[in-house]
Amino acid sequence: MNIASNNEAVLAVRSATKVYATAGGDFPALREVDLRVAPGEFVTIVGRSGSGKTTLLNLLAGIDRPTSGEVWVGGTGVHALPERRLAAWRGRTVGLVFQFFQLLPTLTVAENVMLPMDFCDTVPARQRRSTAMHLLDQVGIAEQAEKLPAALSGGQQQRAAIARALANDPPVILADEPTGNLDSTTAAAVLDLFTGLARAGKAVVMVTHERDLSGYADRQVTLADGRIDTDLAVPA
Amino acid sequence: MSRPRTVKIVRDLWAARGRVTVMVLAIAVALTGVAALLVARAVITREAAAAYASTNPAAATLDVDDGVDPALLAAVRTRPGIADATTRQTVTTRVLVDGQWRRMLLFVVDPADALTIAKFRVESGSWPPTDDGLLIERAADTILRAGTGDALMVAGPDGSTTSIRVDGTVYDPALAPAAQERSGYGYLTPTALARLGFTPVADQLKITVTDRSAVDSTARDLAAWLTANGHVVHEIQAPPFQHPHQRQTNAVTALFLAFAAAALVLAAVLVAATLGGMLAAQTRQIGAMKTVGATTGQLLRMYLTATAATAVVATLLAVGPGLLAGYGLVDLVGTLLNIDIADRSLPWWVPVGIVASGVGIPVLVALVPILRAARITVRAALDDHGTGGRVGLRRTDRWLARLRGNRTTLLAVRNLTRRRGRLALTVLLLAAGGALFTAGLNSATAWRAWVDQGMDRRAYDAELQLTEPVLAEPVVAAARAVPGVTSVEAVLSVAATPADVAGRVEVQRTYPDGGHGSFTLTGIRPDTAMVRFDVRAGRWLRAGDRTAVVLNQDAASRLGNPAIGSEVGIAVDGRAGRWRVVGTVAEVGGPATAYTIPDAMTPIIAADQVNALRYRFDGTDPRAVTDRVETAVAGTGATVVATMPTTELRNAVDGHVVIFVYVLVVLAALMATVGLLGLASAMSITVIERTREYGIMQAIGATPHTIRRLVLTEGAITGIIGCLVAIAAGIPLSTMIGDLLGNLSFGLPVPLRIAPGGLGAWLLLVITGAIGATLTAAQRAARLTIRETLTYQ
Ligand SMILES: Nc1ncnc2c1ncn2[C@@H]1O[C@H](COP(=O)(O)OP(=O)(O)OP(=O)(O)O)[C@@H](O)[C@H]1O
Ligand SMILES: [Mg+2]
Repeated sequence: MNIASNNEAVLAVRSATKVYATAGGDFPALREVDLRVAPGEFVTIVGRSGSGKTTLLNLLAGIDRPTSGEVWVGGTGVHALPERRLAAWRGRTVGLVFQFFQLLPTLTVAENVMLPMDFCDTVPARQRRSTAMHLLDQVGIAEQAEKLPAALSGGQQQRAAIARALANDPPVILADEPTGNLDSTTAAAVLDLFTGLARAGKAVVMVTHERDLSGYADRQVTLADGRIDTDLAVPA
Repeated sequence: MSRPRTVKIVRDLWAARGRVTVMVLAIAVALTGVAALLVARAVITREAAAAYASTNPAAATLDVDDGVDPALLAAVRTRPGIADATTRQTVTTRVLVDGQWRRMLLFVVDPADALTIAKFRVESGSWPPTDDGLLIERAADTILRAGTGDALMVAGPDGSTTSIRVDGTVYDPALAPAAQERSGYGYLTPTALARLGFTPVADQLKITVTDRSAVDSTARDLAAWLTANGHVVHEIQAPPFQHPHQRQTNAVTALFLAFAAAALVLAAVLVAATLGGMLAAQTRQIGAMKTVGATTGQLLRMYLTATAATAVVATLLAVGPGLLAGYGLVDLVGTLLNIDIADRSLPWWVPVGIVASGVGIPVLVALVPILRAARITVRAALDDHGTGGRVGLRRTDRWLARLRGNRTTLLAVRNLTRRRGRLALTVLLLAAGGALFTAGLNSATAWRAWVDQGMDRRAYDAELQLTEPVLAEPVVAAARAVPGVTSVEAVLSVAATPADVAGRVEVQRTYPDGGHGSFTLTGIRPDTAMVRFDVRAGRWLRAGDRTAVVLNQDAASRLGNPAIGSEVGIAVDGRAGRWRVVGTVAEVGGPATAYTIPDAMTPIIAADQVNALRYRFDGTDPRAVTDRVETAVAGTGATVVATMPTTELRNAVDGHVVIFVYVLVVLAALMATVGLLGLASAMSITVIERTREYGIMQAIGATPHTIRRLVLTEGAITGIIGCLVAIAAGIPLSTMIGDLLGNLSFGLPVPLRIAPGGLGAWLLLVITGAIGATLTAAQRAARLTIRETLTYQ
């Protein structure tokens, strides 16, 4: 699978520019970026610190808006979506995974996973727990379901966060340095999970610092100074 | 199975139970005050009005010198504007209680009277009483020290006493309570009155009118008609159609309600501040929830529900004590005003008001931080990393960075200025609580001091009143001859009525108790040694001031606050005289009085006549002295009404105000509580927010002791700032309350008086409170292990 064609893309960024107004004047964090990702693709975004990786991911997630250009996710123009509809849209369409897992500390792991179903009302109330247990089983921490996040190791927490990102079965998974806080073995397991998700048909975009991603990702996009420097297929 | 978001809120509230408790307590404490005063105000104002109206008081009472016979009464009933009419007689005499004379009002009612106007309710015994008996007003029992079956020694016109039996008691809520007026009230038939030696003559014509807004004109028209028919109408009395103490009760309860409402608003601000802090700590969680699909509306509902639940718990806690205190106050004031609380039910708006203010006000105020938190964008929420925030960028931060001194104190000061909004809120809470606390205590002290001072201006120890004017010389000499009496002065006081300068006599506002609403013209030596008058404007009297008057504040107000130098009309016995106002004086206690020199009274009453003696005495047994003076004066042939020792006058004045002073102090304590709870909550938020920072500090070598000291110093500094602001803000507030209460009770603003005890108490409260409030937080901060503080991000 190589660069996806227009019609297949579930994610499409068209000529997106993001300019931050700072004390020292306008700062362009992204310049005229074009990117397409098809369902089933696992794309990694790499680049030096400050190159605009998080900025790009935020545009895809609707967390930020481009200064100019367009962001289409699953047929929705995210750049034009009004703020009040963004949250519900995001809950159903994209699953987000962060470097710091961002689990709610007072909810058990299972409850954390059920939370998106509750907010978006996607799964009937009675099936939420079994759905959550199924997802936790899928990421391999079913036995941790009733614990509070603080009682879990970093890798376990990140798996829980991935399970939560999958709760509403979104077509797109976005992850910002999900392995940044994990040792290499744990990181490998998490990357395996993402590969599996891509195989299952989801579009996966992951910002990472990992060097050797052969065997995991399909494509690697390199950012430099807010521009796409290279966009290459990863040799299997 | 509950939804995860409900679970989250419940667990969060539980995790923050300390702060939640503080919020609940603050609302509950303040709401207790609001509920109590809402209940008290609603029930008392309604019941006082109902009780007064239930007597169907006369709209006007006309004094017809020669009396009103049944034929004339029948004719009066048919006059235009008259709804109903009856005749009565009121005799002021005296009664011997434990060897001491007291004023006694006898209300004479014909057995044939249908009792449709100026009704009273028989509580024991029956109406009419026997020919050698009377009924007494139930609240007069403490003054008369007598109950049913006891005999009263009542003086007749010639001074001789006749024993009359108390056949029972009546309830007459149209009168100011007997104990406060230091006067006995009796109800009897003309036959029984004749047995006491008085001539029964139905000289009071009491009327009710068809149009209550035209009472004065209807009464004047009737008086004109009576005059035209050859009768002499001596005066007209038309008191306002409300209980003599209704206006004060309304105004004072309204003021107190405002006080309690202010406490509730403070509590609501505390809730908002606490919630704001809790929500700020949840910023990232809110961001996380938004990334998994939570909308602003959903988050808003979640947090509002939590706030509402907290407020509902507080409201439930406050209802019981609030009702208890409210009804307690109702009963107290009911007893004070001698009114039966016939109907204890609450109007619908009281429960609605309690719930609305207990739940509505906190939720409404909390909406501010909740809206801000719920609206935050994911971007802003997740961006909020680290411990620094915007510190270091502002000018004061750079200035503070240059400060040198104790490291911990400095750090505490810098920490304080990091969250200026919170510091401002905490100081505001403390200051508002403290200002109201000190103002409450200041006002209570000022009130007391003012009464004391007013009483101190009366240098005489007792005033003896005579039934009618007699020649001064013999009575003064008799009193002076009594061992123990050190000096004596005579005065002449006559009932008067404000008139306009043209001589038209105003309708009197005197209530049937003869005290409230009365107006007197008093002849007094300009060089009197018995009273040190507090001259407010103009000057005091001088010898030779034959047409001059000095007015006390009530008299001035009744005469329309005339300018110094202007002319006023004052009528005695229906004849108006013109007087020039030369000054005004402030007086505590006593009726509206216009003072003039004795000589100026001669056109009204023969020269050298007096009807009261003021005297000073020493010796250990005041009762013995006053008794001897009474006997000595009676020996000259004069008739004594009663002796009013100055201490007793003081009690009478106190009796009117003391309960309100207590309520004020209780409300002040309420405020203080809310203010201190605010400090406690602010400090605990601060500690929780800085958890990470304390961890970092410990990691680089700070001991738990340093951390504790840091937090305590921060609390103490906040406390001191709050205290200073409180004291400063408390002064204008005290003046305001003093003005209000003084005007209500004495017709004069009470001058500001700082209660040093109050300030000291507040300082102490804040310092111990600040330490207590911060100590828990400080202990918590010191106990945190480095691991705990740094693991959670
Ligand atoms: N809110 C903002 N205001 C101003 N400049 C910003 C803002 N957010 C990011 N930037 C700037 O935009 C550039 C890109 O930031 P971004 O966070 O996308 O980098 P990144 O590639 O994710 O770096 P890292 O690998 O360190 O996470 C950086 O130079 C950063 O300083
Ligand atoms: Mg980044």
